[in-house]
Order: sequence, then structure tokens, then C-alpha cells
Amino acid sequence: MAFDKMELKDVEVWDGNYAAAQALRQAQVDVVAAYPITPSTPIVEGYAKFTADGYVEGEFVMVESEHAAMSACIGAAAAGGRVATATSSQGYALMVETLYQASGMRLPIVLNVVNRALAAPLNVNGDHSDMYLGRDSGWIQLDAFSPQEAYDLNLIAFKVCEDHEIRLPCMVHQDGFMTSHTAQGVNTLSDDAAYGFVGEYKPMNDMLDFEHPVTHGVQTEEDWHFEHKARQHNDLMTKVIPKIQAAFNDFEKLSGRKYNIVERYDMDDADVCVVCMGTSVETAREVALEMRAKGIKAGVVGLRVIRPFPFFEIAEALRGVKSIAVLDRSSPNGAAGMLFNEIAGALYNADTKALLSGYIYGLGGRDLTKKHLVDLFNELQANADAGKVTTKLQQFIGVRGPKLAYL
Amino acid sequence: MLEIRWHSRAGQGAVTGAKGLADVISTTGKQVQAFAFYGSAKRGAAMTAYNRVDDKVIMNHEKYMEPDYVFVIDPALVFTSDVTVNHKENTKYIITTHMSTDELVKVQPKLVGKEIYTVDCITIANETIGRPIPNTPMLGAFMKISGMYDIEFFKESMKRVLGKLPQKIIDANMFAIQRAYDEVK
Amino acid sequence: MAKKGWDEFEIGAMLRTFDGKIDDIAGTRQEDRAYSQNSSYTASVSDWRLIKPVFNKDYCIDCQFCWVYCPDVSIISRDKKLVGVDMDHCKGCGICVEVCPTNPKSLLMFPEQAEEETVIANWPKKDEEEA
Repeated sequence: MAFDKMELKDVEVWDGNYAAAQALRQAQVDVVAAYPITPSTPIVEGYAKFTADGYVEGEFVMVESEHAAMSACIGAAAAGGRVATATSSQGYALMVETLYQASGMRLPIVLNVVNRALAAPLNVNGDHSDMYLGRDSGWIQLDAFSPQEAYDLNLIAFKVCEDHEIRLPCMVHQDGFMTSHTAQGVNTLSDDAAYGFVGEYKPMNDMLDFEHPVTHGVQTEEDWHFEHKARQHNDLMTKVIPKIQAAFNDFEKLSGRKYNIVERYDMDDADVCVVCMGTSVETAREVALEMRAKGIKAGVVGLRVIRPFPFFEIAEALRGVKSIAVLDRSSPNGAAGMLFNEIAGALYNADTKALLSGYIYGLGGRDLTKKHLVDLFNELQANADAGKVTTKLQQFIGVRGPKLAYL
Repeated sequence: MLEIRWHSRAGQGAVTGAKGLADVISTTGKQVQAFAFYGSAKRGAAMTAYNRVDDKVIMNHEKYMEPDYVFVIDPALVFTSDVTVNHKENTKYIITTHMSTDELVKVQPKLVGKEIYTVDCITIANETIGRPIPNTPMLGAFMKISGMYDIEFFKESMKRVLGKLPQKIIDANMFAIQRAYDEVK
Repeated sequence: MAKKGWDEFEIGAMLRTFDGKIDDIAGTRQEDRAYSQNSSYTASVSDWRLIKPVFNKDYCIDCQFCWVYCPDVSIISRDKKLVGVDMDHCKGCGICVEVCPTNPKSLLMFPEQAEEETVIANWPKKDEEEA
């Protein structure tokens, strides 16, 4: 192989961005086409440097916009390469049109989305507004809560999405700054072990196979479009979660690190629980343990897989809980939060009688403090004790001014 | 849990310093976290960086911190920022200044009654590294005040962290760390 | 093409030009290629045409402009010599005539029902003014 291997310590102190860049290197990605944007820039910068320094046999393509970045990734993936890129916020928004192209063409691209707020007002910090934009785009969406997970989930993403039974692109989300620029200990895999796990890229319907010429990106009108979309939805609904679970199992055998479709923490006997995504899951876990010391049976549920939405796994995870808070880190702008709605949908026909309330928090990187979460768990316990939601269904955490509550 | 807040200007190396410290501590088997508040910071803008150290995996991602140590690596920030915000009774301060600790406390009354240590990281950096990058000297001073590690072990570890830099720069940083270790009061 | 269900075709917005493997595609002429049903080669669009190009080889200088510009790859060229028009795929747009640089032109548009021999016999003469 025409590239150098890198000696890594068992534990490296990496931020989420560098962890993701290292995973792209270890997966030996053939093409990264990118238009760098804060806070995701160091991922593609890292890949470009690894390539320039001879650690990857691949190509970094600098393009003129995020729309072009994903377009070039689509071309490279259709040609038959292992492809990845990264973006955030406004760049992700510009990419949305091409996201649907990538998934509809069944091209297994890995997109690192370093979650950031959407303007206006302009803001470079982390919230989940951009992540929510892509939820109907037909991609698989995995969510990392820490730099370690950003590293692991990138490797897992390639393995899942490139599988010939899947062939769907996959996003790996991490929180802007709170994960992407926060250095923590990351347990590494050796280059050989990581590449062995991801496996050699196996092309499918690649345009560089001159013995089997194909036309990609065809037009279908009313007579065929629906069937294609139905097929894509079917594969997302039936094939992806078992494949992710299998990859999680393999990864645990390799690394000892266990991932689940829905992460449950202290849920076995929980009366009250918080459902959330990103770094908030870990902070909430820490607070839940502290609440237990105070006699409140608190638990936390974190979404590891956002799409396909783990409908049954969520209902199972929340079985027996008395009072649930769903946290959305994106302004729903005139509705209940997306996650609130999804959870409500998953529970409606389940036999749980849990009390459900929603909270909007952390927009534009606004800190979610442990104090906030202590108050939240206490409020949930009050709901459980009263046997009804004692507040409005939708409240805001950590915003200035008079209390905001709706519904 | 040990928590540290850095007060710095963007470009003075607080993030690199925080990550370097985390890297060294990590090699001893502890769990670490290093992060910063950037905003759309421009070179020269006041900023803060943070370290957390613990025996178990650090799950707390809140930015709010009541620090055990406050590092101020730019001499003006002790006047233009509130370096005592969210302090605890036993918070220790290591502040870059050309003044003595007594002189500093006299001109910044907020520091009265607090555990203050001073060291002139800017002058040390200028005279050793040749540029006003006060991050590594601050870590030398921290080793003295905290007694966290033997200074020779720390310098050896920092040599590895700075590994990619030219030997001349690494050597200069070692001098800077040692000088701050010796001079902090 | 028979109507298939959503689970009966290959995934992706993708069509195969050939059924199975093909060798030396670049060295094989269109008429000798075993195109699949999905290829538009087997789909005639000749009925879209209201007027048709007629080729008069007496004036052609084999500059290949028409071959380059034809949007439907319907100019048949062999060994860099224009030999005719693929009337199954020509839609009668007239671009070949527009770009033809000879005087008189070597390609002209005529009503679909015009007799080729007749129009060639009555081909316009050189336009002296233009020259």
C-alpha cells in the first residue's frame, strides 16, 4: 500500500473533529470534497493534511460551495470510491438539495455534521437546528455524544452504509464545540484493526466499471418515482437498524465499547427520565446519578440512531417510566419539538401511561448546566407525584426574560 | 474533579496549553477534558479555555465551572475581565504580571483575600521563546504551585506533546517552563 | 417495459446500458452493440420530427461540426467521414444545418415527406453574395 501507517497511543487526547479526521484516515477514504465551515473545518483539514503527508492514498477536492462539495462526493461515490466529507449549519443547509440526490442514488457517503445553529442571527455555536433539517433526506443519522463516539461512529458508519444490502449515505453528528472542539481521552484502534473493521470498499454499479456501463441520476416521473422512494423508505425501515446493530456487535467484540440503537442509562427502575441527544445525554447522565443519591429515581435515554427513527426501541426504553421530558435543541418555530413529536408518536399506541413534556434548550450554544437538569428532574418528579403534567407541555430552559411556556 | 479556567487572548495559546496539559495528564491514566469559548474570536480578543481532570470518565459537558485554579496568561485581563467569576473559597490564581503579588492585589481589589500567585509569563516567553506566547510557562508555574508532577517528568512529557516543532523551539519552551517554575511566587 | 413493483428493480436511480458484461465498448460501433431495453438506442423518436435533414455528400468537407453539435448523437461518422443521419434518433432540430460551414450547405432541412433523390437533384447553388 502506498501510504504510511501512523502509530497511535492507546489513549489519545483528541477533540471530536480530530477524532473524526483520524477515522477518515484509518478508513482510507478515497475522496473528500469539501467547502470548510466552522466548526467542522478541522475534519476536512485533517484529512487533507493526512493525504498531503502520505498517510492516506486519496484525494482532497476543494470546491466552491457546500452544494458543490456534496455534488462532487456524489460523483466520486457513483464512480466507485469510498467518500466522506464534513459540514455544519449554513453549509449543511446549502447541501440539503444534494442530500436527497445522494440517498436517492443509493450512494454510501459518510457526512460528518458538526451541529451548529442556523442564522439569523448568525451564530457559530452548537445546537441541533442543522441536524433537524436533514431528517427526511433519506440518510442514516448517527449521533455521537463525545469525541470517543465521533471516532467510533465514523468507522461504524462506513461499515453500515457501504453494505450492499444498505447502500444509503450516513451522517455522523457531533455537537459543535461541545464535542468538536473539546479534547478528551479517546481510546484508539490501530490502523490495521480499524481498517480491518471497516473493510475494503466494495463498489456497486460503479461508473468506472467499463464492462458494465450504467447511467446514474436518471429521471423518473409520476410512473416510477414513487416506487423508488418506497424502496428507499422500505430499506430504511426494515434493513438499516438490524445492520447497525450487527455493526455495533462487531465493534464491541473488537473494541469492548458497546453501542445501542437507543442508549439507556439507569432506566431499569426509573420513575422519571430525560430523552435527549448529543453532549446533553452525558451531562444528564451525571445529574441523574446525583438525583438518585437524593432519592429521585432518574434515568436518561439518548438517541444513538436518529434516522431511521427507532420507534419500537424507544417505546421499549420508556416502558414503565412515569414522567418523561423530551429535550429539543432546535427552535420548532411554531410547533412542538421534533423529538417531542417523534417520542409522542412512538408512545401513543404503546401501553405506557407516561406523562410527556417537552423542553426547548441550548439554542446557539447556550449552556445546559447541571443546575438546569436538577430543576428539570425535580419538575418531572412533581409531575409523577401529581399524576399529571403540572406545567405546560412545552417550556424553555435557560432563556432570559419572563418564563416561556406553550401548549 | 480538578477544574481549571484559563483567561487568555486568542492567539496566546490557551487552547494549545489546555490541550497540552490534558495530553500530559492523560498519559498518567487520568481522564481529561479541554475546551474553550471561542465565539467568532479574533486574534487578540479575550477568551477563556478550560480543563477538567478526574479519575472517572468526564461526562459533564456544561460550560459553567467553579474552578479550582484560574490561569491568567495576559497581564491586562486581570483588569478588563472578571477573572474571579464563579470562584470558590479555595480557588487558586496564577496570574501573569510584571508586578509582585502584593502590588497586584493593591491595584485589583477583587483579588484581596484570595490565594494569588504571580509570574511574568510574557517576559519569560519573550526572553526564551522569542515571542509572547505565555502558555507553556504558565504550565511550569502550575506544576510548582500544584505539585501535580515532578518538573522533570512534566518537561519530558511536554517535549513529546510539542514533538512536531523544531528542536530549537522545543528547547526554548523547556527553558520557559523551568523559569516559570522557579520564578512563580 | 413491463410494469414492475417497488421491490423488483435494482436500487438507486440507475439504469444499465447493457444486460450483463460487455467487452471493448470503445471499439464497438453503435449498431453492433447489444444495448439493453433501458438504453434509448432501441427507442425511436423519429415520429417527433416534422422536418428532416438531408445530407448531400457532394459538398461535405468532413469538418465534423454536425457530428460534434448534434444533441442526439444522430450524425453517423465513420473514419472521420460523414456517412449519414440516424433517422431513428434525429428529432429534426436542424442544428446540424445551422453549424454546417460549406457553401452551399451539405445538410439542409426538408419536409418529412420530401424525396431524398429529388431534393439532392434540386440542391441550391453556391450563394455568390455570401462568398
